[in-house]
Amino acid sequence: MNKKKIRDLMGEVMSWLASSITIAACLGIIIYLFNMGHAQIDIGFLTNEPATTLETEKNGILTPLVGTLLLTFIGTLVAFPWALGTAIYLSEYAKRNNLTETFRLGIDVLSGVPTIVVAIFGLAVFSNPALGFLSSMVEGVQDVNRAFGRSFLVSGITMAVMILPFVIKTCEEALKSVPDTYREASLAMGASKWYTITKVILPTAKNGIITAVILGMGRIIGDTAIVWLTLGGTLRMTGVQPWWRPDNWLSTLKNTGSTLTSYIYFMSPAGEGHQNENAFGAAFVLIIIIILLNLLTDFFMGSKEIGK
Amino acid sequence: MDSLELSTSLSVDKAEKKNQSIRVRLGRLRDSVCESGIFVLTASSAIIIVFIFIFILIKSWNIFAVNGINFVLKSGFDQQIIEAYHAPADKPVWHFGALGLLLGSGLTTVGALLLAIPLGIGTAIVITELSPRWMKGLLQSFIRLLASIPSVIYGLVALLVVVPFIQDNFITSELQLQYIKQFQLTGNSLLAGIAVLSIMITPVIVALSVDAINAVPHRYKEASLALGLSHWRTIVKVIVPSAKSGITAGIILGTGRAIGEALALSMVSGGIGNIPNPADGGVFFLTPILTLASAIINKSESMSVPSINAALFACGVLLLVTCTTLSLFTKIVERSIRRREGLE
Repeated sequence: MNKKKIRDLMGEVMSWLASSITIAACLGIIIYLFNMGHAQIDIGFLTNEPATTLETEKNGILTPLVGTLLLTFIGTLVAFPWALGTAIYLSEYAKRNNLTETFRLGIDVLSGVPTIVVAIFGLAVFSNPALGFLSSMVEGVQDVNRAFGRSFLVSGITMAVMILPFVIKTCEEALKSVPDTYREASLAMGASKWYTITKVILPTAKNGIITAVILGMGRIIGDTAIVWLTLGGTLRMTGVQPWWRPDNWLSTLKNTGSTLTSYIYFMSPAGEGHQNENAFGAAFVLIIIIILLNLLTDFFMGSKEIGK
Repeated sequence: MDSLELSTSLSVDKAEKKNQSIRVRLGRLRDSVCESGIFVLTASSAIIIVFIFIFILIKSWNIFAVNGINFVLKSGFDQQIIEAYHAPADKPVWHFGALGLLLGSGLTTVGALLLAIPLGIGTAIVITELSPRWMKGLLQSFIRLLASIPSVIYGLVALLVVVPFIQDNFITSELQLQYIKQFQLTGNSLLAGIAVLSIMITPVIVALSVDAINAVPHRYKEASLALGLSHWRTIVKVIVPSAKSGITAGIILGTGRAIGEALALSMVSGGIGNIPNPADGGVFFLTPILTLASAIINKSESMSVPSINAALFACGVLLLVTCTTLSLFTKIVERSIRRREGLE
C-alpha cells in the first residue's frame, strides 16, 4: 500500500516538475530579456533609425518598428477578408461532399507547411518579371530579366499566405460556436441566408473573429524566415528618401527594409552585428508587443478556451 | 370619384409591388454574387498548396534531374555550396548531397521530441488534473505565451545563454584540439539545437494534449475512481490512454514545427552540415550541425548562383514532402478517431 502511494506521489512530482520547467522557461526568457533590454529603451532608441556601427549613440529601432507595423498591416489586410470568406463558406455553405473534403485537405496541408518553405515560395513567385510591379526590377545585369522579389508588399502577401490557414481555422471555430437557433430564428423571419450571415452570425461571432485576427497578427510580428528571404537584409528603408513622406510611401512599400525580428537577427552574433545590447533592446520591445497581443486575446475570448 | 381613387391606389400598389420585386431580385443577385465570391476565395485558399508544390518543384527540378536519389544519399553540402559559389559561370557545379542536412533535421527533431513529449504531457496533466482551479487559467496563459514567443527570440536567448553554457561546461581546449581537423567545437551544436527546439515545441504538445484530456468523458474518471483506483492511477491508466489520439496529434504537429524551424536552429546549431558520429561518445551531441530548414537561411546569401538557388529549393522540396506526409498522417488519425466515435 505504501509503495503504491510513493509511486503515485512520484508520478505527481514528476508532472509538477515538467510543468515547472516549462513555466520556468517562459518566465526565464521574459525576465532575462527584461534584465538585458530595459536599460536600452528610451525615446532615442524608439525614434532613431538604425545607424552604422560607427555612430552608436544615435542607434535606434524606428524603421524596424515601422517595418513590423507595415508588414502586419499588409498581411492582415490581405489575409483577413480571404480567410473570413473561406471560413464563412466552409462553415455555412459547404455541403458534405468530395469537393469540400478536398478544400479542407488543401487548407490543412497548407497549415502544416513550414514558414521557410512559404518564404521561398514567395521568393519564387514574386521574382517573376510579371509581378515586378510589387517589388523592383533587377537592372544592369545582362540577359537577366527578373524582378527583385523582395519588398514590403511581397513580404506582406507572403505573410498572408502563411497565416491564412490558421486564421481560417480560428474564424471557422468562431462561426461554428454561434448556436443554430440564431440561424433558424433569422431564417424563419424571412431573412435570406446571406442576410442572416452578415447581420446575425458575424456580429455574434465578432469576438472570436477579432481573436483570429490578433493571433494572425502575432504570427506575422514574430516571423523571421519570411522577412529574411522576402524582405532582404537591409536595416534602413531603401525606397526614395525620406521614406516617411506620403508621396514616397509607394516607393517605400515597393522596396526593402527591416522588421524587429530581422533587426534582432542582424544585431545578434548570428547575424554578425555583434551589438547584443541593441538586439536585447529590440527583443524587449518585441516581447512586450507579443505579451500585449496575448492579453488582448485573453480579453476578447473571456473565459472561453482558445484552441491551439 | 370613388372608382378613380380606387384605380389610382391600385396602380400605386402595383408599382410598389413591382419595385419590391425588383428589390428582392437585386437582393438575391447580391447574395448570389457574394456567395460565389466566397466560393472563389475558398477554392483559391485550397489551391495555394498546389502552387507551392509546382513552383518549388520547378525551381529545384535540375537538382533532382542531375543528382537523382543521390541528393539524399550523399553528404558534403557545405563544401559543394562553396565549390558552386566559386565555379566559373560556364561550368556551374550541380552536384549536391543533402544527407548531412537530412540527418541534422532528423536528429534535432527526435532529440527535441524525446524531451518535449514528457515535458508536454506532464504539463498537460498538471493543467487538467492536478492544479487547483485558480491556477489552470494562469498556467494556460503562460503556455500560450510560450507558444507565441518569436523564434528569433528563442534563438537570441539560446545563443547567448545555452551556447556559452555548453561551451563552459562540456568543451575543454583538449577536446577542441582533438577535433580541430573535423570541426570547431564552439558550443553551437546539436545539443544547443535540441535544447531550444524542445522548449519551442512543448507548448504545441501541451495545447493539444490539454484539449484531448479535457475531452475525455467525465464518467470514465468517475468510474475509475469509484473502483478504488487512486487519482494518479486513474490519470495514467484511464485518462491519458483515452486521450491518446489527441496527444498523438499534438506530437505530430510538434514534429512538423521542429522539422520546419529554421531561424532559431540556424542561430544555435553551428551552421555546418556535419554528420555526428556515435563513436565520438559525448562529442556526438557537441557536433555543429545544419538542418534542411536552417540551411535555406544560412546559405541564402549565395542564392544568386542558379545552382545554389536550385539546391536550396530542393531542400524546400524535402521539407514540403515531409510536412505534407505528417499532415496527411494527422488527417488519417483524426478520421479513424471520428469513425470509432461514430460507432460508439
